[in-house]
Amino acid sequence: MTKLTRRALLASGAGTALALSAHPRIVVGQTNEPIRLGVVTPLSGPQEFIGSFVKNGAEVAVDLINKAGGVRGRPLALEFRDEKANPAAATTVARELLGMGINLQFGTIASTVALAYGPLMQAENGVNLTCGAGSEKINHENYSPHVFRIGDGTYRMRAQARMMAEKFPDVTSWTGIIPDHEYGRTVWAIYVDGLLEFYPKITGKQPQIVDPIIVPYGSGDYRNFITQAARTPARGIVNATYGGDAATFFQQARPFGLFNNRVLMDAANEFIVANALKAQVPKHWTGTHWYYAANSSPISKTFYEAYVAKTGQKMPMGWAGEAQAAVAAYAAAIAKTGLKGLTFDTVTGARTIRAEDNQAIKDLEMIQIEPDAGSDVGFKVSDYVKIPGAGVIEPATPGKAMVLRKPS
Amino acid sequence: MIADLPSLLFNALVWGMATFLVAAGLTMIFGILHVLNFSHGGFFMIGAYVAHSLTNWSAAMANIWGFLAASVLAGAVIGLVGLVVDRAVFRRLAHVDGAYVLVATYALLLVCNGFVKLVWGLNVVSASPPPELFEVSFIGNLVLPHYSLFVVVAGVVVFLALEWLINMTSVGRLIQAIAIDPWMARLLGVNVGLIYSATVIIGFALAGLAGGLLVANQSLSPDLAGIFIIQAFGVVIVGGMGSIRGAFLAAILLGLVDSFGTALLPQMPGVLFFVALAAILLVRPRGLIASGRLS
Amino acid sequence: MTLSPAARFLLVLAVLTAAALLLPFVANRGLVFLAGVVAINVVLGMAFNLLFSTAGLLSFGQATFSATGAYAVALLLLRLPDIPFLLALALAAAAGALAAVVIGFVALRRTEGVYFAVLTLAFAELVHVVIAKTSFFGRNDGLTGIPRPRLGPIDLAQGQAYYVFVIVVTALLIACLWWVTHSRLGRSFRAVRLDPMRAAFLGIDVRRRQLEAFAISGACAATAGGLMGPLTSIVSPDLAHWGESTKPILFTLLGGAGHFWGPLVGAVVFSAVEYGTRSLAGASDLITGGLLLAVVLAIPGGLLGLAALLVARLRPNRAGNQPSPPAIPVASTAEGAAR
Repeated sequence: MTKLTRRALLASGAGTALALSAHPRIVVGQTNEPIRLGVVTPLSGPQEFIGSFVKNGAEVAVDLINKAGGVRGRPLALEFRDEKANPAAATTVARELLGMGINLQFGTIASTVALAYGPLMQAENGVNLTCGAGSEKINHENYSPHVFRIGDGTYRMRAQARMMAEKFPDVTSWTGIIPDHEYGRTVWAIYVDGLLEFYPKITGKQPQIVDPIIVPYGSGDYRNFITQAARTPARGIVNATYGGDAATFFQQARPFGLFNNRVLMDAANEFIVANALKAQVPKHWTGTHWYYAANSSPISKTFYEAYVAKTGQKMPMGWAGEAQAAVAAYAAAIAKTGLKGLTFDTVTGARTIRAEDNQAIKDLEMIQIEPDAGSDVGFKVSDYVKIPGAGVIEPATPGKAMVLRKPS
Repeated sequence: MIADLPSLLFNALVWGMATFLVAAGLTMIFGILHVLNFSHGGFFMIGAYVAHSLTNWSAAMANIWGFLAASVLAGAVIGLVGLVVDRAVFRRLAHVDGAYVLVATYALLLVCNGFVKLVWGLNVVSASPPPELFEVSFIGNLVLPHYSLFVVVAGVVVFLALEWLINMTSVGRLIQAIAIDPWMARLLGVNVGLIYSATVIIGFALAGLAGGLLVANQSLSPDLAGIFIIQAFGVVIVGGMGSIRGAFLAAILLGLVDSFGTALLPQMPGVLFFVALAAILLVRPRGLIASGRLS
Repeated sequence: MTLSPAARFLLVLAVLTAAALLLPFVANRGLVFLAGVVAINVVLGMAFNLLFSTAGLLSFGQATFSATGAYAVALLLLRLPDIPFLLALALAAAAGALAAVVIGFVALRRTEGVYFAVLTLAFAELVHVVIAKTSFFGRNDGLTGIPRPRLGPIDLAQGQAYYVFVIVVTALLIACLWWVTHSRLGRSFRAVRLDPMRAAFLGIDVRRRQLEAFAISGACAATAGGLMGPLTSIVSPDLAHWGESTKPILFTLLGGAGHFWGPLVGAVVFSAVEYGTRSLAGASDLITGGLLLAVVLAIPGGLLGLAALLVARLRPNRAGNQPSPPAIPVASTAEGAAR
């Protein structure tokens, strides 16, 4: 790999560049021009809602850093592009940014896009940070030294399984509501892996894994699947459907009393389903990338206040935190010249990027949501758990598929 | 699966009637104007959002009468929009190749999506059925949410109303005549243009009404149009484009296919629907009831 | 100086190709990449236009053919890395032609007009679902890491070599489509479009011509689609989504269906508008839809139709002016007389 000289950096005028050897290093020149970061995230289409948190979170994070003097005396500047949750569109805009000299990018939410970034950044000397893309392949079989997951990976599901073992030691039979695509199947497989490790370890009991119910995505009617689910002997259900599908499922499931005597673990919907169903939302636990009310560090509080001031949204969702973490990662990496092995501070606390597979080790957060007819949003957060990532993260196997425990 | 049979059948009926409510207006417009209106799902979605806003507007609307009123009002609003669309789009493109109208309706769909995002925002919304329809009844293992029963009844009522309109009224018979032979109808002095406009308005109004009636059937989001589009098209194609009876039968048939698909092929949800669609199209490419008549 | 139509066409093609090949010297990598995508879209639009304007078939399932080609090339390059690239493209073309004949055979059996269009849409969605659910095709995640292969001594992975290859191949495909359109075969397609009954009486095998048109269109679309994989390094089921089928139709109508170059004008203008509004994000649906609606309603002849009107107005009585062909395909009598 060629190492760009400082003369080449100044000549290009872009101000930032990547010097690559076996480990990508980030080298910036000594000018006063802003350091430009590219944000490629869904700004239209079905994931536009989540992309809006990434956009606002990134802007707030950059504002705060610039107010505090920038990075090495230079301000940060963001260049936004629409990912459209479609790998071809995303790689087109990513290339456009690369052509503009913007090699440092972040904001990926869709797994397919994250997987496409690897070969692209490798060929074009760029770096990409994902902001919530869930596929386990990113740091396993499709590992690329140029793609970093600065948020939690799939080990979040292992953390959720662990938490369930701790909070509900008697709920030993589990099933899942799994959408028929890669993300859904991954969530289930890794959750099962966690159940099979942590239930015996913590409760001494072997969990019973009941075959999951595979559901279509983008469907307007889940009643047949709800009928199936209502008959399951499992006392715990993990839900991997998201967004509108999850809301439709829970809404249609209400008359069936599906969740009445069961524990519901929602993988990652944060407030989406609760905001939709309001007082009709079933009591459930959900994973969150960042719960603003429980993080009392100065960095989290300042970020939250600035976020509310900018958007008026009092209940920002965790993806804003992921964007903050990405900006913080770049800021720290530029100051210290590297991402691999970097420890940096974020709204959820300190994170360390594991050098072997570019996966961040961070604390996992989960909240319990239950209906509250009295509140103006119709629900309240009634419990919160933080689990240290180091105890649940899977072993690093870059280039190889993840090895998972399976039910016998 | 046997134990679940009553549930499978009932769920098939609910799916079928919900889809029929959406597809009725679509097949009508196709039968008369030979236009496949891509934006139909978009106006269904707007109808749902309009009805939702109406019911939330005041506490007085939080009952079944408010619910029905909101649905009818949504239908009326979308019907008016249909009048505008007829004037601005369908009439202007009547003399050029059908492709232009198809592209125009696709463009309208994009406009609908953008409009919903602009007015109601990006987040997912969930509407509850009115209190009178909130409860559930049980017959053995069979779960009968009252709102689901309402959807089935609504589908049947709309079907019967359309059948009455088409077969028992003079307007309906004019529409049928025009569907079969517009040239002759014009020669006989029928104001064909007026009937076309009326059909468009009725078709759009049906979309809006369906949106209102189904507002509590699933969650609302700017993706709603895309969710119903494939199943509505499937019902229209299988039923025979233009046939209300065909759409009704096809809706029930495809609902059964969908239900039994979940029982027979649990690992591949939704696939049986497409297999059935392909099979039916191979045997009867024009659909179940393909005489070219409306009913 | 009056040139024969063929010479005029080759001149225009040469100018456009030269302009495209000069682009890397004046624009950044991102724009060059976009130009490659546009070139592929131009071929897809023209493949559609062959069916629509020449053979009179409204196909709403063109995405099937481009996706077939994309997946064929991707699978060949990934599983048989030593396969000559040109052979892979040829196989992709064959796959596209085969898919077209199969779908055409079923869809043309007892339907025509809009019925036919809806059937192509239904089959296209079926193919989309099959791709998304089959492990062999990589399911929802698709296939990644598609390489830019060697072409004999030339390594297409170096610099802009692959972009040059894309431009050259798309230029060849455009020439091929022009030749078909203006050949005797093309004339028989037009005869079938204008009056199938009379064509049959004249001894033209209508069904066979339609299938031939379909096969040629499918082959060209598949070849163009096959170029996409190594360009973006991924293929995913999105390529077969019905929204992708609407794009060639959009480009053709935007540029002007009655003109051979219509799809090119449409593809370029549409991409320019998308590029220009790319940071306006949220409003993109409204803008795209509104723009499209405006064009279809106000200038149904497309941009080239509008240009032709303006040109005709500027030289009204010039001797030797041929009356231009109707800018818009007019509806057949049965439907046109209806309103």
